[in-house]
Amino acid sequence: MPLLSFLDRDRTIAHPGFNRWLVPPAALAIHLAIGQVYAFSVFKIPLSQLIGITKSVDGDWKQSQIAWIFSLAIVMLGLSAALFGKWLESAGPRKAMFASAVCFALGFYISHVGVVTHQLWIIFIGYGIVGGIGLGLGYISPVSTLIKWFPDRPGLATGLAIMGFGGGAMIGSPLAVKLMAHFKTGTDLGVAHTFLVMGTLYFLFMMFGVFTVRVPAEGWKPANWTPSAKPSALITTHSVDVNTAFITPQFWMLWVVLCMNVTAGIGIIEQASPMIQDLFKGTIGPVAAGGFVGLLSLFNMGGRFFWSSVSDYIGRKATYFTFFSLGCILYFLLPYTGGDHMNSVVLFVAICAILLSMYGGGFATIPAYLRDMFGVYQVSAIHGRLLTAWSTAGVLGPLLVNYTREYQLAHGADKAGAYQTVLHIMAGLLVVGFISNLMVRPVAQKYWLPDSSAKIGNKTEK
Amino acid sequence: MNSETKSSPVLIFAAWLFVGIPAGWGVYNTVHNSMKLFQPPVAQPAQALPTK
Repeated sequence: MPLLSFLDRDRTIAHPGFNRWLVPPAALAIHLAIGQVYAFSVFKIPLSQLIGITKSVDGDWKQSQIAWIFSLAIVMLGLSAALFGKWLESAGPRKAMFASAVCFALGFYISHVGVVTHQLWIIFIGYGIVGGIGLGLGYISPVSTLIKWFPDRPGLATGLAIMGFGGGAMIGSPLAVKLMAHFKTGTDLGVAHTFLVMGTLYFLFMMFGVFTVRVPAEGWKPANWTPSAKPSALITTHSVDVNTAFITPQFWMLWVVLCMNVTAGIGIIEQASPMIQDLFKGTIGPVAAGGFVGLLSLFNMGGRFFWSSVSDYIGRKATYFTFFSLGCILYFLLPYTGGDHMNSVVLFVAICAILLSMYGGGFATIPAYLRDMFGVYQVSAIHGRLLTAWSTAGVLGPLLVNYTREYQLAHGADKAGAYQTVLHIMAGLLVVGFISNLMVRPVAQKYWLPDSSAKIGNKTEK
Repeated sequence: MNSETKSSPVLIFAAWLFVGIPAGWGVYNTVHNSMKLFQPPVAQPAQALPTK
């Protein structure tokens, strides 16, 4: 379609002299927008009081029903990233970002209709399915482009973008609260109008990314940079296509690495607020616990940038080695910082902050790890498939935390004791991740593309 | 054609500002909220607190 030809890959090739530092803001615009999904919980109470206004009444949706909107969106994130990753590699980042923006905004608009007509299934389709596809496309769209622009610092580059996803909730939450307060009347909580405005604002914000992103020209490399003559054995100079990567042991080892790291992180996120209150009864109340949750989100975001940047220097395997060994010790120690043992709020908060930084770091470092293993050729598509580990962890983590805790409490354990069991299980999961990471070896030659000699700067997709 | 047009530093700064302002606003809000952790607890009338 000529009208949309500006989205084509060949129209996004950078001119000589284009500064690569324009690409991370483009990626950030997408990730800061779609990161809003983590702030969806601010709509939970208003959506459950659309009829009753001040309280839930008969006919209002239950919070447990509303929770499915978020779950559906996250599942669709994983599925669409896995399904559309290969298309993205050929279509280019601009087309994928545009499709992401359209889906994400459309999700809000459809949900507006769902609120106005009070039909929850319309919101499931809107924010959950259509918006969720936008999340998946947006999440992986800048990854291979950033890696091509920053062959010298792939961890830093992808960390910058994925940090945006962690920070998106910090914008989305206060924005939604302020918009709902603005549109609220005596008979309307302002949710429908908020959806319309947020859809429009996010679409425009993402368009900045769409129009700014560029891919490097064939053979481009940073000035004064030459690839190491003797690269690490774990950094390939060859390429593996997505379908082949999917059947390598390395893919599944990294799948386990990501899944274990995320599941353990969810062990903290899922119970952060009640845990700090239960472990420090009388010292930490609900308000301070809210502050604790905010602090954790800062470390989650900062860790994405910090650890992925560190991985450029110490290597990806060593970075995950740090996550799993240090994480295992810290998860084991965490319950002993509580009121019944050391009674140190400072130590508890510090340990949780480090653990959350490593949770975020795990997300941000994985694209560079994949690039090291499989080359840059279809790294976005491979990343997309690996994100199914995140979807799995999103189900596994809460299930493990909640059921273990309920079982413990039902069998007479006190609240603090139940946390101890859960956290020690998380430490055990990190041991599994540690072993999986330890087993990662270079991809065997039989999986390489036949003509995939070192082309680190760029490689035209088929 | 091999003409090289360098990206303007102003353009690069503006691009970072465009994403930096909303991100900074979000971080400011979160830091402000997280400060509540370090405030001394306020004595409240006895009432059942939610545990979850």
